[in-house]
Amino acid sequence: MRFDTHQLVLNYHLILSGLKITCLISLISLGFGVVLGLVLCLGKLRDKGIIYRVCCGIIDFFRTIPEVVLIFWVYSCLPLLLSFRISAEASGVLALSLFAAAYLAEIFRAGVLSVPRGQVEASLSLGIPEFYIWSRIIFPPALRNMMPAIVNFLTELIKATSLLSAIGIAEMSYQATILGNKTFAYVEFLSAIAVLYFLIIFPLSLSVRTMEKRRLASAGN
Amino acid sequence: MQVLEIERSMDMKKRETKDNDVVIRCKNIKKSYGRFQVLNGISTEVHAGEVVCIVGPSGGGKSTFLRTLNALEPINEGSIDILDVRLPASKKSVEHLRREVGMVFQSFNLFMHMSVRENLILAPMTASKISRSEANKRAEILLNRVDISDQIDKFPGQLSGGQQQRVAIARALAMEPRIMLFDEPTSALDPEMVNEVLDVMRDLAQSGMTMLVVTHEMNFAREVGDRVMFMVDGRLAVSSSPNEFFENPTDPRQSAFLSKIISSGASRP
Repeated sequence: MRFDTHQLVLNYHLILSGLKITCLISLISLGFGVVLGLVLCLGKLRDKGIIYRVCCGIIDFFRTIPEVVLIFWVYSCLPLLLSFRISAEASGVLALSLFAAAYLAEIFRAGVLSVPRGQVEASLSLGIPEFYIWSRIIFPPALRNMMPAIVNFLTELIKATSLLSAIGIAEMSYQATILGNKTFAYVEFLSAIAVLYFLIIFPLSLSVRTMEKRRLASAGN
Repeated sequence: MQVLEIERSMDMKKRETKDNDVVIRCKNIKKSYGRFQVLNGISTEVHAGEVVCIVGPSGGGKSTFLRTLNALEPINEGSIDILDVRLPASKKSVEHLRREVGMVFQSFNLFMHMSVRENLILAPMTASKISRSEANKRAEILLNRVDISDQIDKFPGQLSGGQQQRVAIARALAMEPRIMLFDEPTSALDPEMVNEVLDVMRDLAQSGMTMLVVTHEMNFAREVGDRVMFMVDGRLAVSSSPNEFFENPTDPRQSAFLSKIISSGASRP
């Protein structure tokens, strides 16, 4: 066979619009995931009580079911249960936000717990108000410690958006398969999007590696 | 007459104000972790300006007792009147109390992501709401006092253990506390750095600060302490003047402890 760039040139704008949607959905889901994940994380940090148990339940639930099942469930079952329709895009974002929230909550919790107890005790003993303990003592080192995990998760999230093609959202993988069906240039389109995914995700992975190295180096002294 | 009084007050050591000025009064405080009773009914009083050294075998509840005084450890029974607060107390009064009771930890617990200066100005600026310039001024004076003003813009990780602990003392003093709690302040230090920290504490005691010090430094207890408390099994077994404590042990466990300490050479010059 020969690699037919002709079809790519003709349809590259569709691939690019898919890329735009992939990026958009990733970022929006990440945004909602961060907010909801923070709430879940704070709930789980309570360590006892009803709020703690509810948050644990939510986190465990969304971490254990496969993303595809979650996506289909939100898309086809949720409207039946709530008896109103939501668009494919909205249900896709909702599903991925829940997925992100559950994972990010655990990442945030690990970040907070990575700050030594003594730091908090010292600030308590000085009478520093709680707000400043969180913002000045816990948050900066916690963020530094969890940044690699967050970026790493972002790469997972970007890859997970490709599952949304199953519910007909016109993200990058969807466009490639549709164009493949239409033109039979499967190899060209699928290779092209593979390269595009790589170009987005590889730099992120590299940045994780750099952050890890820097973190280890500074922990050493 | 007036001159005499001034002279007297200049001469006045901390002992002067002691008798009438109780700053800590513990009544039968008890604390347990599950079934393990850490504090088993402790009652005592501490007067303003007094330097109390708390000694005893490990696991005796010394650190826990100290940490109940600023409510880092809640108590299960009894009460503590400290300054104008009665523990257990509301979150707000506890926060207020902690601003007047400084604490120094065995492992320093400096804020590692902040410079020495930031370590010293954070609490005054956020808890006492004083201005940055005022806080900076205070920090410089205090660092001068603990003899590390040249390290003000370094990070804790760049300092030796002894320097870090002196910064930690300065950080606590930046809140202008009325009482200072020391939880084994020299136990994590290399031997050659112990004295620089003890010297700072000695100066602080001279200045009339009320201090409670959990320590294994028997010479410090003997020279600087006004009183030695011996804690074992969550009880206050002995509370006496240093002389009496070291020369005339009254409790068999106290004698056992002293002979161990002295034969093991744990008492440093």
